[in-house]
Amino acid sequence: MSWPQPAHELEAVELLGAQVHFLPGAAEPLSELAPEGLPAHHARLGARPDCSGVHARRLLDTLDQVALTGRGGAHFPVATKWRTVLHAGPGTVVVANGAEGEPLSRKDAALLELRPHLVLDGLMCAAEALRAQRTVLWLHDDAHRARAAVTRALTERSSHGEGPLEVAFAPTRYLSGESSSVVNALSGRAALPSLARVPAARSGVDGRPTLVQNVETLARVGLLARGAAADTALVTVAARHHSVVAEVPGTATVAAAVSRTIGGRPPYAVLVGGYGGRWVSWREARTVPVQRAGAGVLLPLVPGQCGLRRTADIVDYLAGSGAGQCGPCRFGLPASAELVRELADAHIRPREVRRLERYLAEINGRGACHHPDGAVSVVRSALAVFATDVEAHLRGRCRHEPARHG
Amino acid sequence: MAERLRVDPVACDGVGICAHLAPDLVGVDSWGFPVVAIAALDRDTRRQARSAVAACPRRALFVEDAGPS
Repeated sequence: MSWPQPAHELEAVELLGAQVHFLPGAAEPLSELAPEGLPAHHARLGARPDCSGVHARRLLDTLDQVALTGRGGAHFPVATKWRTVLHAGPGTVVVANGAEGEPLSRKDAALLELRPHLVLDGLMCAAEALRAQRTVLWLHDDAHRARAAVTRALTERSSHGEGPLEVAFAPTRYLSGESSSVVNALSGRAALPSLARVPAARSGVDGRPTLVQNVETLARVGLLARGAAADTALVTVAARHHSVVAEVPGTATVAAAVSRTIGGRPPYAVLVGGYGGRWVSWREARTVPVQRAGAGVLLPLVPGQCGLRRTADIVDYLAGSGAGQCGPCRFGLPASAELVRELADAHIRPREVRRLERYLAEINGRGACHHPDGAVSVVRSALAVFATDVEAHLRGRCRHEPARHG
Repeated sequence: MAERLRVDPVACDGVGICAHLAPDLVGVDSWGFPVVAIAALDRDTRRQARSAVAACPRRALFVEDAGPS
């Protein structure tokens, strides 16, 4: 086995290598790609390298060198998290998080369905490097295709002498992929977020050191362990009638990723990072790297659509999908959503916009998880990017929906 | 080691005793839920923090190390 060369000599290998289209209601993603079986996976990338013992330290060095960050959305440095787990001592639990909560994201589903072996490689590498006693793949319970692909892949690998792996299922809820939800569920509690007084890396599942790592991040670990570069980015572009998962260069801007993926007339603005992200104007989208886009969800505003109305729909969704455990989610989000709705309907006075801004300041950063913060980010960015529309709506008019407001 | 007062928002029910016992540390938001100052505790505020922690019927308040300050 050869070991990773310095970053500039790594050969670039793509995770997916093609666009994957998802249509609402369609049973299968539209793609020329079929789920990659073990022979094809080995022919393309070779066998998974050993990541235990001395190899673990080298893998950690590689993770440092390429500065791999978490692709679940938080972009926390992977090597830092792994070292915390290692130092926290024995009994480690390693969890591959495939329950992406972002409603618009499809990239993790595409990876699990089409490249299950690469995800499993990364998971087993992490488990070996961190000397895991328990290794878990966490999936949405309604992710039937991912489940089928993973089950098939595990059967193919069963003769390869890897450690045991559990597949566990999350209730299909917006927040069941949240790291503390995963830890709670695997410890036998409800799959709901909680305030972690100590990071999961030190004390997680059953009080044991726990790594919860997104499946795309682990797929990249699977490439890096082989000495291949893993510096692309997976994005989900949510077009009007369908979603497209695309692999773009890690240096691509948001605007380039949207243009290359769906083409057509440039949108007026893009929601970067999905329902918990922020609006940017198309001009700004030309300078924002996709690596700053959370879990990689890009939602272009359809020409002719009012950004404030789209925002109101999103905040309604967020207000309705919280766990309802904390004051900010139980009271702050619904109250804010109501004011955003009045703003979208152009039935609002300046005093109420100021009240909305006060509510946002009050709820920001005050939940057990970041759910309320996502809503704050979407609304605040909408007030800035759609400032012209806010002015018009305060006068009872909307340039995008003249009929609705006379 | 600097310390600060924190609230576990899942445990908190917005009872509000903390805001009375630790007025220099705890305000309330528009719905009566505590907004806790992030500043490190000093001698006076540590006394307030301790009485708020002890009095909370939901056991939602705690004092944590805020790291080097």
